[in-house]
Amino acid sequence: MQRKHVSLLSLFALILVLAACTASANTGTVTNGDPDPWSHVPAQPIHTDHSHIIQGPFNSGQEVTAACLECHADSANQVMHTTHWTWEGDPVTVPWRDEPVTIGKKDQINNFCISSQGNEKQCMTCHVGYGWSDENFDFAEQTNVDCLACHADAAVYNKGNYGLPAEGIDLLAAAQSVRAPTREECGKCHFDGGGGNGVKHGDLDESLYFPSENLDVHMGRLNFLCTDCHQTDDHVIKGKLLADNYTIDPVAQVACENCHQGTVHEDERINQHTDSVACQTCHVPAMALKNPTKTYWDWSTAGQDLPEDHYTYLKIKGSFEYEKDILPTYMWFNGNNAYRYLLGDTIDPSQTTEMVTPAGSIDDPTAKIFPFKIHVANQPYDTVNNILVPPRTAGEGGFWTTFDWPSALVLGAQDAGLDYSGQFGFTETSMAYPTTHMVQPKENALQCNDCHGENSRLDWQALGYPGDPMEWGGRDLSSAATTQRTDSPGIAAK
Amino acid sequence: MNQFTKSRLANMSIRARLLLSITLLAFVSMGVWSVESAIAARSAAPVEQTSPVHPTFALLDSDGENVLTSNAALSLDKTCGTCHDTAFIASHAFHADLGLSGITEAGQAATGTPWDTSTGLFGQFDPLTYRYLTPAGDERLDLSTAGWLEAVGSRIVGGGPAMTSREGQPLLSSTLSGPEASILDPVTGQSSPWDWSQSGVMEMNCLLCHTVEPNNAARIERLQAGQFGDAVTATLLGTGIVDSTDQGWAWNADAFDATGELKPEFVRIQDPTNENCAQCHGVVHDGATPLTLEACDLDNPQTATTGQVISGQKISESGLNLADKGKLTYAWDIHAERGLKCTDCHYSLNNPIHYQERQDDKLPNLLYDPRRLEIGEYIERPDHTLARGQSAQFDVAPESKATMRRCESCHDAVPTHQDWLPYTERHMQEVACETCHVPELHAPAIQSSDWTVIKQDGSPVTVCRGIDGDSTVTDLVTGFKPVLMQRTNVDGQSMLAPYNLITSWFWIYDDANGNTRPVRQIDLETAYLQNGAYRPEIIAAFDSNGDGVLAEDELTIDGDASKQAVTEQLAALGLGNPRIYGQVQPYSINHDVVRGKEAISDCQTCHTDKSSLVAPIVLAGSVPGGVLPQFVADVNVAATGVLDMNAGKLTYQPDPQADDIYIFGNNRVTLIDWLGALVFLTTLLIIAVHATMRVLAARRNPKEPVATQPVYMYDKYERFWHWLQTITIILLLLTGMVIHRPAMFGMFSFRHMVTLHNALAVVLIANAALALFWHLTSGQIHQFLPRPRGFFDQAIVQAKFYLSGIFNDGQHPFSKTYRQKLNPLQQISYFGLLNVLLPFQIITGALMWGVQQWPGIAAMMGGLPYLAPFHTLIAWLLATFVVAHVYLTTTGESVEGDIRAMITGWENVPVHEEHTTQ
Repeated sequence: MQRKHVSLLSLFALILVLAACTASANTGTVTNGDPDPWSHVPAQPIHTDHSHIIQGPFNSGQEVTAACLECHADSANQVMHTTHWTWEGDPVTVPWRDEPVTIGKKDQINNFCISSQGNEKQCMTCHVGYGWSDENFDFAEQTNVDCLACHADAAVYNKGNYGLPAEGIDLLAAAQSVRAPTREECGKCHFDGGGGNGVKHGDLDESLYFPSENLDVHMGRLNFLCTDCHQTDDHVIKGKLLADNYTIDPVAQVACENCHQGTVHEDERINQHTDSVACQTCHVPAMALKNPTKTYWDWSTAGQDLPEDHYTYLKIKGSFEYEKDILPTYMWFNGNNAYRYLLGDTIDPSQTTEMVTPAGSIDDPTAKIFPFKIHVANQPYDTVNNILVPPRTAGEGGFWTTFDWPSALVLGAQDAGLDYSGQFGFTETSMAYPTTHMVQPKENALQCNDCHGENSRLDWQALGYPGDPMEWGGRDLSSAATTQRTDSPGIAAK
Repeated sequence: MNQFTKSRLANMSIRARLLLSITLLAFVSMGVWSVESAIAARSAAPVEQTSPVHPTFALLDSDGENVLTSNAALSLDKTCGTCHDTAFIASHAFHADLGLSGITEAGQAATGTPWDTSTGLFGQFDPLTYRYLTPAGDERLDLSTAGWLEAVGSRIVGGGPAMTSREGQPLLSSTLSGPEASILDPVTGQSSPWDWSQSGVMEMNCLLCHTVEPNNAARIERLQAGQFGDAVTATLLGTGIVDSTDQGWAWNADAFDATGELKPEFVRIQDPTNENCAQCHGVVHDGATPLTLEACDLDNPQTATTGQVISGQKISESGLNLADKGKLTYAWDIHAERGLKCTDCHYSLNNPIHYQERQDDKLPNLLYDPRRLEIGEYIERPDHTLARGQSAQFDVAPESKATMRRCESCHDAVPTHQDWLPYTERHMQEVACETCHVPELHAPAIQSSDWTVIKQDGSPVTVCRGIDGDSTVTDLVTGFKPVLMQRTNVDGQSMLAPYNLITSWFWIYDDANGNTRPVRQIDLETAYLQNGAYRPEIIAAFDSNGDGVLAEDELTIDGDASKQAVTEQLAALGLGNPRIYGQVQPYSINHDVVRGKEAISDCQTCHTDKSSLVAPIVLAGSVPGGVLPQFVADVNVAATGVLDMNAGKLTYQPDPQADDIYIFGNNRVTLIDWLGALVFLTTLLIIAVHATMRVLAARRNPKEPVATQPVYMYDKYERFWHWLQTITIILLLLTGMVIHRPAMFGMFSFRHMVTLHNALAVVLIANAALALFWHLTSGQIHQFLPRPRGFFDQAIVQAKFYLSGIFNDGQHPFSKTYRQKLNPLQQISYFGLLNVLLPFQIITGALMWGVQQWPGIAAMMGGLPYLAPFHTLIAWLLATFVVAHVYLTTTGESVEGDIRAMITGWENVPVHEEHTTQ
């Protein structure tokens, strides 16, 4: 009898549950990958206070490194296998060269201070080593690795000429302050890339030391460190700079999708964009939000006794243009370069030379529309051989002491091992930097009418569409998917 | 490097050629865009686009001669008429007509007032702009046709009354009289003749809507100067095509090619953009600069009257000093944000892209009629009657109402609502989409306009709602919630929709012909002002603080003295019986739509005591002269609510019940609730008294133990259906209570309670049906059937027992057996319960549930306003039954014996023979 009561009651309960279920149907959501972004964010290591561990005294940076290696025996060796140390990538084959080439600050030039060769005295303040003064630097000497560059509290450590500790640094205090790198340690070099705050990157500058959430949602609202995204394994830090590579393995690159997986937008129409539009395009709607970034650098006016101003003219560097809150340039981008200028490549001086050409096109299914900062420079070249010639600047007898172009270029050509005719002029070069930091909270992301309709920030026809895809339809990826990935360059938007 | 450049350029030119062949955009030179050009042009401003499709053409004057040779004013009738049928366009354009074709005798217009002559801008008196278009034969002239063009010209596109007299004659070549051949001289106050051949007339101005950046300011300047014939040409000033000189128009030969046609770069013809529409309608904003606007500025009538702003910009990024601005991280208007233009909804009615048959013209078996205009035919004769909705204000061209695609034409609301919105279809039938999707306006709008008084500059006292002050940048903008009113659509369907209500007061008088007219502004100024200052009599009557100066807050007719003073002044001007008139004009709100996340989705916004459906809206801070305003007649809005003074403010409170709308959680019939409560409480009281007496009786006369024996009384199934029904009914009562009075049970989700209530009802019905089946097939039904013979005698015996016997010997008159469980009173009460209360509750409940599936059936029963209170009453009775029933179970042999029996099936029954019936 009792058991029958139980069964009756359970039938009862079942009916009620069924009734309740009809009330709350349709609650499931489909996900792929772990949709919780936090599950992909690493736990920060627990800080170990080294002030009681490290005793000193230290007479040189190398002695500090030796002390570090007593416990962290593999660390220097690990660092030596990173580009932070080598300043060049592995040799790669590029279509326009017969021999494999390496690309990096060590042996290639850029659009800013142009070349580090011969200018090690200043450039190496951002190298993770001690005493790289010329080609004789011993890359195999473990104590030459500068642990403090990234691990000492940036408030008590600084690097000087040739990457040696700056004068007056208390090495013991610096060594005792070591910690996992924070934005301050990374930012010291990366926020000031190109020679000063915000020079090189439109999306990385000193405003990110103490960012608001409207400057960068990760660092501002969630107090992210660089290493939360640029995750590190045996001192190999994830994330590659387009300008220092030819192609980049996606595995080695940081991507939004590393953490933001599954159906990321509530609105299905927005999700339909993600095949062709990079996250950054909508979520990094503008660059240089707080501090201006350098957009133009004219070396040809350097050396004159004009009124100096950090943002417009310096005798050693020439004239500049800085801009703030700027609209990115939009191009198709598949993560690789279609072209990277290599020393010795001939140029067409009548045109702006693209030193970095992002790869991708509307026909490339792996490419997405991506925001770039374009920096244009006017830099010296050999008018006979039509090659870019880096000047010696900070090095001995360089332009920054002599203000004499002919001699600086002869020295610079020597440093770079270039065949220089002695005849020079100036030509425009440009570099494209993908914009990926200063991610905005979703409330500040672009809306439909930012790209579609009459006030579009995109030039759809220049991107290869017949017209605004809102009206003309999107690109047909089904046919594109069967074609090979192209390394043809992207197309700039207005 | 070079090889890459070459291949890239090769790719581009192929693409460019493809594009050209696809789009036929002859002037587009976009194909050469590349990385280089983008970089090279990094600081150059974007090149202004010329028209991609419109061919070049010659500009002709009214004689058809090229303006280059004639140096005359431009005629668009001739110029555009070269290719387009301008006569067709002008005759199919309510923007040109503005009410002219519907003009009638004053008082005959559908608005019902004695002064209106049409329902359009040309003929309907608008108390906001105030000036009155005087009909022919009136004693006093306010606006003649010419005066109307000067005064309201900024909103007139040309053609219609700017070309044609009210009798349908051309203004230029006809013999005209009265208000068509005169104008009010503002100095003398008398009418003076108007010479149309001097002023010219104004053709429908194609340029205003079809060119990039037309010079509307120059156009308005010419209109205000009475130079109507030059207004069209002035629209081109600043484009480099024509200049204005003392000698007349100077056409710039550099803008024309050798054949006398405009060079392509000067042909900036386009489909109308939002900016074109904005020139006359309201605030439109595109681009990145923060939006700002003037509060209640009648130069932007749509925004001034409704607070609607057409912009895709996020409200939080605008320049307005808005309350809680940081949270408003969505666009002013989702459609603008999504890239829609005005013309996407307000399209030409014969545009083959958008054209749709009117519902009443459609054949039932024809879904799509492919026989459409060719694009060329359309371009020759585009119907300039634009698709429109069913707005309540300015009913120009009423025949074109509801020609527009509405929300539901583009959006299928069911998939996005049915998951969470109970009674989705019902909501869609009764509530316009805008009601939830335009929950709030974030720009100020006019609340009232008091023309019974004027400021020293001749303007009325206007009050804005949605702002604390005047400036939207430095004062706090609060926005406002629209009032919800019952709109009757063209198809007869009625639904709640949002409105702004603008109340106006003004003086009216009887003229020498016995016609009632609004007092002319010039007369009002004469009455109030003398040499630009208030008359001493006026100051004496209005100056309540006695400082000799009229401050704005003193400027109100709040007593007899001020009313008397103005009346006397007006009467002195010869105006008969001057008196104050007030009217309320509803203004439809259909734009500034927000999407689901920002829309109203909380049930208790409406389904509660403080429902926004009955939220009052403030009409005015005072009632000039004590005259309550009247709602404007002939609007498709039912003003069934209540005008009332609340805390010194005149408010309008909607009363949906008056429109036969019953809102659960808000509406209830108080009488029913009181009646139900009375029955319920009375029963409780009787039980309390009865129980007390039983306790006392038992104490006085302790019951002797009676020999009992256990009897198997209730089968398993009987017990099951009984308890299932018990739980279901109790839960139904509880959930019903929450639905009935959600404000009392705030912790429950209204939405889930509704769903649960419906689910429980299904359980109740199924259980009742199965139980009935069981009782019928098992024969147990006889338990419930009172036996005819001796029933009443037995019932009386049983009643006597409850009333007296139970207190004395405690012997039940009828003993309970398996075959005979119910005594006669139980039989009659269960008979009533199961045959009356429960079926009625099920039927009313099902009909209420069925209002969305079969609204007709519910309507036959009087609809929700009758069904719902009835359902409530029965619920009270059921609740009463439950407590009485539970109490009566305690009257058995032992207090808890009956309940135990219903759980276990076994009951201890006294062992005695005499009363057993079996």
